Amino acid sequence: MPQNAVLELTNLRKTIKGKEIVKGVNLTLYPSQIYGFLGPNGAGKTTTIRMIVGLIKPTEGSVRICGYSVAHDFVKALSNVGCIIESPDMYKYLTGMENLLQFAAMNKTISQQRIKDVVEMVGLQHRVNDKVSTYSLGMRQRLGIAQAIIAKPKLLILDEPTNGLDPAGITEFRNLIRKLAYEEGMTVFVSSHLLLEIQQMCDIVSIIKQGSVIKTATVQEIIQHDDKVEWQINDPEKAIALLMDHWQIKATQLKTNTISAEIGQHPLDKLNEFFIREGLGLTYCTAKQNTLEDLFLGLTEGDQIV
Amino acid sequence: MFNLIENEVLKMISKKRLMFVLAILVVLISIFAYGQNHTAERTKAQLAQRMGITATDDWRRLADQQLIDMKNRLDSPYRDEKDKSSLRVRIEQLQYNLDNNINPLEQSAAKFTTKFMEQSIFLFLPLLIIMLAADMVSGESSSGTIKLLLVRNVPRWRILLSKYLTLMILEIIVLFFAFVLSVIISGLFFGLGGWLAPVATGFKLVAGKLDTSAVLNVPQWRYTLMVYSLAYFVAVVVGSISFMISILVKSTAASIGIIMSTLVAGNFISYFLSDWKITRYMFMVNLRLTDYLSGSFQPIEGMTMLFSITVLLGWAVASILVSFVYFIKQDILV
Repeated sequence: MPQNAVLELTNLRKTIKGKEIVKGVNLTLYPSQIYGFLGPNGAGKTTTIRMIVGLIKPTEGSVRICGYSVAHDFVKALSNVGCIIESPDMYKYLTGMENLLQFAAMNKTISQQRIKDVVEMVGLQHRVNDKVSTYSLGMRQRLGIAQAIIAKPKLLILDEPTNGLDPAGITEFRNLIRKLAYEEGMTVFVSSHLLLEIQQMCDIVSIIKQGSVIKTATVQEIIQHDDKVEWQINDPEKAIALLMDHWQIKATQLKTNTISAEIGQHPLDKLNEFFIREGLGLTYCTAKQNTLEDLFLGLTEGDQIV
Repeated sequence: MFNLIENEVLKMISKKRLMFVLAILVVLISIFAYGQNHTAERTKAQLAQRMGITATDDWRRLADQQLIDMKNRLDSPYRDEKDKSSLRVRIEQLQYNLDNNINPLEQSAAKFTTKFMEQSIFLFLPLLIIMLAADMVSGESSSGTIKLLLVRNVPRWRILLSKYLTLMILEIIVLFFAFVLSVIISGLFFGLGGWLAPVATGFKLVAGKLDTSAVLNVPQWRYTLMVYSLAYFVAVVVGSISFMISILVKSTAASIGIIMSTLVAGNFISYFLSDWKITRYMFMVNLRLTDYLSGSFQPIEGMTMLFSITVLLGWAVASILVSFVYFIKQDILV
């Protein structure tokens, strides 16, 4: 196992009622990074997360948190984890503060000051003494995060954390997660099916499909900054040759009349002028930024699975 | 462990379930006490009509007569030992009443408190316990909070043990309040006394017949204490079984339904008891432990206090084992 890995999943498998839900997931998380766990509904995200925190026992494979096996050293392993699984279910008949005190009572390292700090951190100080049954979903989500980070875990696991938050809440949440990762040194593992959210929040993303992780890469790696341009043009062969000869741009033909190329630093308006000067019939031109969405859709729907 | 139990108790109080149970107790004891009072008044009136005596003044004369009669029967050489010991016990009781000027027809808080628990032990008390026990684990499952509880750095068995111990504490609280409320409410009707009056116990079953040879009188307070101890034992057994069902079923409504219907079924299963031997190993038909104390049980071959307690203990231990094994192994999918 790598020296400083916060979480290491080795060949994790789970079969529930004869159906293999998670098919051999390998994943290693390092400190102070925000990891995204991206996949369509039913891909096995929540099942994987439940195995990490010990709610479900793996059929095969192992989970190690900060070097401790969840199966054999449950207490030590779980001392390093805070999490929200699916929805932030709290005791509705207790107040927010009473809820936090319940969890604080289970861990002697949590001080009164820490509880206060956490409440302020998630912005609940005005409503913390109200019953949770009166909270909105957004407030429950905040309380959920508060209980997850209350014991200063090394690994924070958030399953679909922005469900029910308004846009302002999401921005606030993103800033809080960054603060926790980069200032308090937590490793954050965020699962989501929302691409934009992962793209905006995470450093590294793992994409899971039908129980297998099909790609793990940094978000920068995936979203290339070079602009990709598509032209609809009447003579694609000639255009490809001209681009190569005059601009050293390698273009490929997509459809009968469409070519595409990464133009890098070359100005697009000059290229278009050039095509027209060469007597080509240019009908349409579009610049596309490569997003996580392209990759995601390509990986999860198309046949060309990496 | 103490902090976990504190957590559970706080949850139980906040959920108001305990308050609800205590409220039911107040209502039921009040109705029961009023009913007892009503019956006692009617008996007195009937006696006065039929025998021409006013029970309040002339009961001593009647008791004196009975006493002399019984003493004569005791001296008779044709009596066997069994009859004699049961006579001696009745003479002792009557003598006590005369000595202390207690009308045996009058109710007392002590008598009522004991009788209330004797009548509650097989159905009403278990129902109250079920209301508390059936929710302890299934409530967390259906609200999803079980996830929060089991991802802490506390092993699962400790979480479950804290819940089980909390249940045992709640059972004490319920019985304590049942006792205190009975004394206070019935005390308003009948006065608070009666704790030293002798009560007959020590009935045995010999060769399928009720054997009274070992019967003796104990003071009422001791008898009451025995009744409430047995009631606590029953509460623990029923609590353990409901606790197990609430873990297996995961829905509070379903687990309350299952165990309540089992209990109610137990009440008419007793009718088949003597023919159908296997029924005596069911926990529901063994709950009337106090009947063995008062000698009011139907003599059935092979059923004794020891037998019933052993059967109940077996059920409790098996329930606890199943609860812990299942709870520790299960996958939480809610």
